[in-house]
Amino acid sequence: MIDYKIKINRKGRPLLSDPWVWRMAWRDARHNYARLFLFMASLITGIAAVVSLDALNNSLQGDIERNAKELLGADLVINSSKQFEGEFYQVVDSTADIAGEAELSSMVLFKNTGYTRLIRLVALQGDFPFYGELNTLPAEAYQQMKTGRYAIMDESLASQYEVSSGDTIKIGNTNFPVAGVVTKIPGGGGLTTTLAPSVYIALSELDSTGLVQFGSRINYSMYVKTASDESTEVLINEVEPLLRKYGYSYDTVQERKEDLGEGFNSIYRFFSLLAFVALILGCIGVASSVHIYAREKRDEVAVLRCIGSSGWQAFTIYFIQIFVLGLIGSAIGAFSGLGIQQLIPILFKDYLPMEVSFTLSWTSLIMGFVLGALVSVLFSMLPLVAIRFVPPLTVLRADFQSVQVWSKTRMVAILLIIVFPLTFAAYQTQSWLTGALFFAGLAFALLALSGVAWLLLKSVKRFFPSGAPFVWRHAMANLFRPNNQTQMLMVSIGLGAFIIATLNTVEQSMLSQVEFAGNENQSNTIMFDIQPPQKEGVIKLMEENDLPVNQVVPIVTCRLSELKGKSVESLQSDTTDSISNWALRREYRVTYRDSLHKSEELIKGKLHKRTNGKDSVWVTISEGMHENLNVKLGDSLVFDIQGVPLKVRIAGIRKVEWSEDPPNFIFVFPTGVLENAPQIFVTTTRIEDQQAANRFQQQLVMSYPNVSLIDLRLVLSTIQSLFDKLGLIIRFLALFSIVTGLVVLAGAIINSKFARIKENVLLRTVGARSRHITQITLIEYAYLGLFAALTGVILSVGGSWLLTTYFFKITFAVEVTELILIVLGIVSLTMLLGWLNLREVVRTPPLQILRKET
Amino acid sequence: MTVKHVLEAELLTKTYTAAGRPLTVLDSVSFSVQQGNSLAIIGPSGSGKTTLLGLCAGLDVPTSGTLSLMGFKLNNMSEDDRAYLRNQYVGFVFQNFQLLATLTALENVMVPLELRGEKNVAPKAKELLERVGLKDRMHHYPTQLSGGEQQRVAMARAFINSPKILFADEPTGNLDDENATHITDLLFGMNREQQTTLVLVTHNLELAQKTQRILRMKGGKLIEDLSTQVSEPTK
Repeated sequence: MIDYKIKINRKGRPLLSDPWVWRMAWRDARHNYARLFLFMASLITGIAAVVSLDALNNSLQGDIERNAKELLGADLVINSSKQFEGEFYQVVDSTADIAGEAELSSMVLFKNTGYTRLIRLVALQGDFPFYGELNTLPAEAYQQMKTGRYAIMDESLASQYEVSSGDTIKIGNTNFPVAGVVTKIPGGGGLTTTLAPSVYIALSELDSTGLVQFGSRINYSMYVKTASDESTEVLINEVEPLLRKYGYSYDTVQERKEDLGEGFNSIYRFFSLLAFVALILGCIGVASSVHIYAREKRDEVAVLRCIGSSGWQAFTIYFIQIFVLGLIGSAIGAFSGLGIQQLIPILFKDYLPMEVSFTLSWTSLIMGFVLGALVSVLFSMLPLVAIRFVPPLTVLRADFQSVQVWSKTRMVAILLIIVFPLTFAAYQTQSWLTGALFFAGLAFALLALSGVAWLLLKSVKRFFPSGAPFVWRHAMANLFRPNNQTQMLMVSIGLGAFIIATLNTVEQSMLSQVEFAGNENQSNTIMFDIQPPQKEGVIKLMEENDLPVNQVVPIVTCRLSELKGKSVESLQSDTTDSISNWALRREYRVTYRDSLHKSEELIKGKLHKRTNGKDSVWVTISEGMHENLNVKLGDSLVFDIQGVPLKVRIAGIRKVEWSEDPPNFIFVFPTGVLENAPQIFVTTTRIEDQQAANRFQQQLVMSYPNVSLIDLRLVLSTIQSLFDKLGLIIRFLALFSIVTGLVVLAGAIINSKFARIKENVLLRTVGARSRHITQITLIEYAYLGLFAALTGVILSVGGSWLLTTYFFKITFAVEVTELILIVLGIVSLTMLLGWLNLREVVRTPPLQILRKET
Repeated sequence: MTVKHVLEAELLTKTYTAAGRPLTVLDSVSFSVQQGNSLAIIGPSGSGKTTLLGLCAGLDVPTSGTLSLMGFKLNNMSEDDRAYLRNQYVGFVFQNFQLLATLTALENVMVPLELRGEKNVAPKAKELLERVGLKDRMHHYPTQLSGGEQQRVAMARAFINSPKILFADEPTGNLDDENATHITDLLFGMNREQQTTLVLVTHNLELAQKTQRILRMKGGKLIEDLSTQVSEPTK
């Protein structure tokens, strides 16, 4: 024995400059296109999601920057709840061009069908818009409207009530022929038309409708066009004292730009986080496919190690493959993202207030490319590092298991895998805290999904009936096949199911909130703006229609002028207090009564009845506003009631269930105070069927055109249509996660295909027919789809309960049929994939397999 | 480098842990092999033959005892150093051929020399494939070849780096008689031509008797060390 150690003198060479590893990477990749494509597919979906939303956001921000004036329609808009004072009007008119607008809620009667509806009535005057376009169909409709007694209306409203040009509608006391429909208007479009469809008339015709009465809630706007941005500044400075004096507010282009930009940024952040989820799923897909790939390569690596390859050389061969394909996948993903970017504005045009132009966003493209490269390296590193430690002894003993080696590379890879999503989430949300919270949330969701999936599998394995037919048992056993990635697939597909099911449940809960029109004896129709002389008539009309008069509530409008001894003006200029300006300046609609309504509960103080005219006036306040105004029991307030000051004190604080039996009020006065103040009335009733509702609404509009009516059934359908639009976007993004899950599933299927074929050959050898094999495979994928969907749905029930109870603060309601449909949809998808794979499995002749095996 | 003993094992012991208990699969085995000799390791299943072969080839490290290959003491070497040593001095032939499925026959044969960083290795690989009778199958993938053909590719790969020592694990175990005879002839023929030391693990006594020496294993121990009547390979 030579008793010394000779130091091996290996020629060191940087691995990536070793032509052999590149050659081997190429030779090996030739045969693994399908498997490696799946790795790319996971990456492509994730990168495409991120790039599409990032590029869309860049385009949107650019469009907002370019089109801000078109969105506002003017350089400056001044708003008031009263008609503009002559003094103010003269000052502005002397330096700039003016257009006017009055906006109010009103009923409209569509005379062709007899239907009525509450709409937003917009009365326009002058050359509005100064910027952007107001397009109508026919094109001259707007001009025609301005010339006299004509109306134009939102396209969606016209199509919903089957109104065409030439038809007549009745607004208030007046009939208006319809001149056309509005297809585009500055500041319009998007959700505005869904929530409050508008009818436009000339301002000069507003008085003829008789809608401008005492108590009518009308918002006046003055659109101002100045010579330049500087002139706008000068004008604002000039009119500032008058703005304060009359309590007018204003909106500039810059403010609108910022508001919109901020609004879109918030939406973008929300959606980019969903894109982030898709990317993380993509990462999981990458890690999963590379993991399977690396395991499959174990034998080959062992041979290479046997004939002299170093661990790093073997690692580099596969690393090159993954990295190069990662770059290709990133490029495809980034360009696909740009493609999807073009698709989004088409899909969601109802949602956007302007046309979004397509701008090629190089930053998004580069970001996607770099991100993809990073993801492919990071998430493949861990499974690939295992290649370095494949023991060459495996060539002699296939079952030889090496010990887990905790190399530095492995540690660094794990660290980076944790840091990457955290950093990316922080980048997406532009905040470390939000990013970290989101990261923690996602990690929790994935862990929870993983936990549910594990429990489900464990229970199924344990409790699956041993006496079940062979094909059912065998299909179940297949789920536990090595490398099947069952749990991973359940998490990935389950996440998609989770998002969709949660959205559905929240939607159902919200709808059921409004659906108190159900069986309970609650009002579903509210009439407001009833003038005192009309009160008896309206009640009589209700009685004639056999409708219950559930409530008749007086309403007095007023404003705050003092709070706790300080004037509202001084409180507004005091920046040290925490009282919101809007709470100080808003118009309050109050009522008076000596008892609590059924939707209220007194949580502090007591109700004071006024016994004589000399007592202090004690009012109760709602819980939320008591916080906003920062008042406590006994504090004093002075209300300006139509020019008459009235000092009151806080007697109690009420908790109000706002959605229950409206109207509900922030301030409730005792009786004996406001009876003689100018007031209007609100009545509520319950109408059981739509026909009766239509009949009553028609009679009401004909007799009392100024009285507006809210049909809660209509509100319900509005919420539904809002959810349809929102849901489309969220479902679109949830689809990314389902697609990623299916990509991973396809990967697992391809990787297990040979094992499956071999197994089926064996089954056929012992007498199984094609029918059995088909059944086993389809049942296996049905199980997989079922378990994955259940994983998501089970968790979504918990998630939506939390969301509805603590975030939306509404009653939790589940629509089981919808959830079953989601489960069935996912089961069908997985079964379809299984069936596609099955065809080759069944068609492959056993001999070919036996040959392949050798 | 000239060394008297190409392979030298002293009190080799290998212990695994199975079901939480230590299991000694090789127990204090000592032997040495001179340059150019041929040696067969025989014994029943589980006797430790393959473990011994794996240790001798540096595919694994012993729990105790020492082992030197071409004068290099393997015990303290890293896995990568042992891989380098195998690439320089060792050839392998396996029972299940162990060809790289994604490479053609020619590429499989070229790999050991390519790993050394040698250029223009294709002519030598082609020559060897011709030598084993696969001139027309060079560009076929392993799955397109029969078992006998695959083993011949493996032989060409084993000999391309002119190994000082060749380890063969049941080289005819997966072949029919005709192919087995062909492979045996090739193995011993090429062994003679290249003056390679041959260490062979087999159940096949007939094959074992073609070597100069037989080590008989049982229960992890070396129980017999026999010389056969085979003459020394031609030098």
